[in-house]
Amino acid sequence: MFKTNNVASRIFERQIRTPAPGTSVHCARRFYENLVPSFTIYDVKCPDHSFRKFTDDGQYFISFSKNNQDLIVYRPTWLSFSCKEEDCDNTHELPPMAKRFESFFTQLYVRSLTSCNEFICKDFFLYVESNQFGLFATSTAQIQDAPAVGGAIPGVPSIEKITFHLLRLEDGVILDEKVFQNDYVNLAHNMGVFLYDDLLAVVSLRYQTIHILQIRDSGNLVDVRAIGAYCREDDELFVNSSSQARLVIILIVKPLRLIIFHHVQFSGNRGDLVDNGIHHDQPNSNNSFLSGIKQRLLSFIFREIWSEETDQTPRVQCQKKKFYFHFQDYVDLMIWKVQFLDRHHLLIKFGSVDGGISRNTDQHPAFFAVYNMETTEIVAFYQNAADELYLLFEQFCDHFHEASINSLYMNFISSHSNNVHALEQLRCMKNKATIFSQFVKKMLSPLPFNCQSLSPSPYFDQSLFRFDEKLISATDRHRQVTDHPIRFISRRQPNNLKFKIKPGPEFGNADGRNKKISYFLFHPFLPLALSIQQTLFLPPSVVNIHFRR
Amino acid sequence: MMIGGGRSSSSSTTATAAGGTWVSTTSVSTSGKRIQREMSELNVDPPPHCSAGPKGDNLYHWVATIIGPPGTPYQGGIFFLDITFPSDYPFKPPKVVFKTRIYHCNVDAAGNLSLDILKDSWSPALTVTKVLTAIKSIFTNPDPYNPHVSGIARLYLTDKAKHDEIAAEWTLRFAK
Repeated sequence: MFKTNNVASRIFERQIRTPAPGTSVHCARRFYENLVPSFTIYDVKCPDHSFRKFTDDGQYFISFSKNNQDLIVYRPTWLSFSCKEEDCDNTHELPPMAKRFESFFTQLYVRSLTSCNEFICKDFFLYVESNQFGLFATSTAQIQDAPAVGGAIPGVPSIEKITFHLLRLEDGVILDEKVFQNDYVNLAHNMGVFLYDDLLAVVSLRYQTIHILQIRDSGNLVDVRAIGAYCREDDELFVNSSSQARLVIILIVKPLRLIIFHHVQFSGNRGDLVDNGIHHDQPNSNNSFLSGIKQRLLSFIFREIWSEETDQTPRVQCQKKKFYFHFQDYVDLMIWKVQFLDRHHLLIKFGSVDGGISRNTDQHPAFFAVYNMETTEIVAFYQNAADELYLLFEQFCDHFHEASINSLYMNFISSHSNNVHALEQLRCMKNKATIFSQFVKKMLSPLPFNCQSLSPSPYFDQSLFRFDEKLISATDRHRQVTDHPIRFISRRQPNNLKFKIKPGPEFGNADGRNKKISYFLFHPFLPLALSIQQTLFLPPSVVNIHFRR
Repeated sequence: MMIGGGRSSSSSTTATAAGGTWVSTTSVSTSGKRIQREMSELNVDPPPHCSAGPKGDNLYHWVATIIGPPGTPYQGGIFFLDITFPSDYPFKPPKVVFKTRIYHCNVDAAGNLSLDILKDSWSPALTVTKVLTAIKSIFTNPDPYNPHVSGIARLYLTDKAKHDEIAAEWTLRFAK
């Protein structure tokens, strides 16, 4: 343990001492207590872009043009500038020309991602670290009251065209695209898309399908499977091929006119004829089968309740009360959100239609299911107030976070399962909670987690610093600006203020009408951060750069 | 949410019946009583591998579950069925539809079931318990001479092993 905070003596200490086994990274990270972004350049002159984030390896800084048409990628460099000696006075003040955005960032390229009526979803960006690929989304405008056609769910808005673009960030070459038409994917804060290693899960809310895609090293987006109406990738083919015998009969029974129509339409191709038959036949019947995922879910619930009782008569009673009474509720559940737990298991949140679109989903009843997409089995099913799931979440929170193999620093993101201070905070909240089920609901509400929503910056490491999580946290989120500077206090010496992040010099003058919204972008390992403040009505935002001078 | 839906649809049944002649009004209540009685009968003596109950509080709309009987290609499957009782039950048979895909010569591509006791051979003496038992028996003994899908029936008669193999695959894929 370091006795002193002096950086020189710490380095000396590091030379002569071997840290306890397995703690070398932790010991090295303590140096961040000495290297803090305590210096601020206010209102930096910078291009008028929407700044999205630093990639988790610190290689790229992603921003979008204000009209949401172009992607601009920067390389974060450390402060670098040149000036004549006579311009630099001896007070070691930064010369004015150094206080520019360009002194910290080098523009790599500008790439247009959209055609005329499309816009970049500036809340969406996923980074494929292993290949330095970036995934971006563009979309056309949203239609709120779109009619539910072709198997779509009523009450879900529609977007004519959502395109995912896979880019090689090194040079900005577009490698592949994946288009979803007349669909709805919740793109805000990466909500509807989850990346795990090279696997991508995209939730189509409108068609209630989880599309699993693979990002190949070659830069291709490949469809792996779609989970929804069917569970396995060849289920649909299987149904169509083994029901060919029945379809021929259906076609013969149908009026002759229809058969002629088919022949004309599809130039007598037998495959097409049969294929079209099934599509033609289904809307005619009033019955619709349970979708693949619903069948799995209902049979899982049925089995669970069935095995609760072993005697036949009370079992039937029990089924009646617990299962059949709520049967339609279960059938009406819709997939809200999905995350990977590992390469085979998905954590799926189910809820009612009203809760799927709204941001505040706490009010609506919801369920969590763990689904194995290889065996197509539901492994577990919980209500959102289930103690059992909460206990798992409390003890094994890190298992819910994407633990990609490639990213070592992801292991240092503080959670109540790996950090005693965070756990203490959670325990405190738990003890304060008056209604335990409400507390459980609240704690489980962020599940499934948004993908890549946490900053790996060491300044959010709760074993190093203490800060007010209401004002700032590792979660990428817009917050309302408060008057106070945000304090980062040393964890080991509770009275030692390590640094402050001040929102702005002229702060406090702002009248109440212009409520400011701010967000912070921290570099993953350098003592460098951006704070961006926006007012609701005035477009130009104020950008401050916080760094270690 | 569901409870509301159930209530509204049951009240609409009543409303349409009440809008008709006095005969139908009484028939609704007698059918309701009858269904209620059949429900308690089913609860007391349920047939094995079967269970059923009303959806929400709508007495006229039931869901039934049949566990694929062991020793058949449907083993391991859980099959859900919708049962809708007409307002003049028991003088008309209930309508039974599969909600789970099944490879069976008596069930068509839309899940409709061809069972003579649910059509011409219906008798008011029959009950839900008997209907469930009858459906369960076609799992073990399909009726290929009275098929809904003749292709499957033909396969069943000519190559039962192949039929069972396909049916088991369907069960694995769609009824687990």
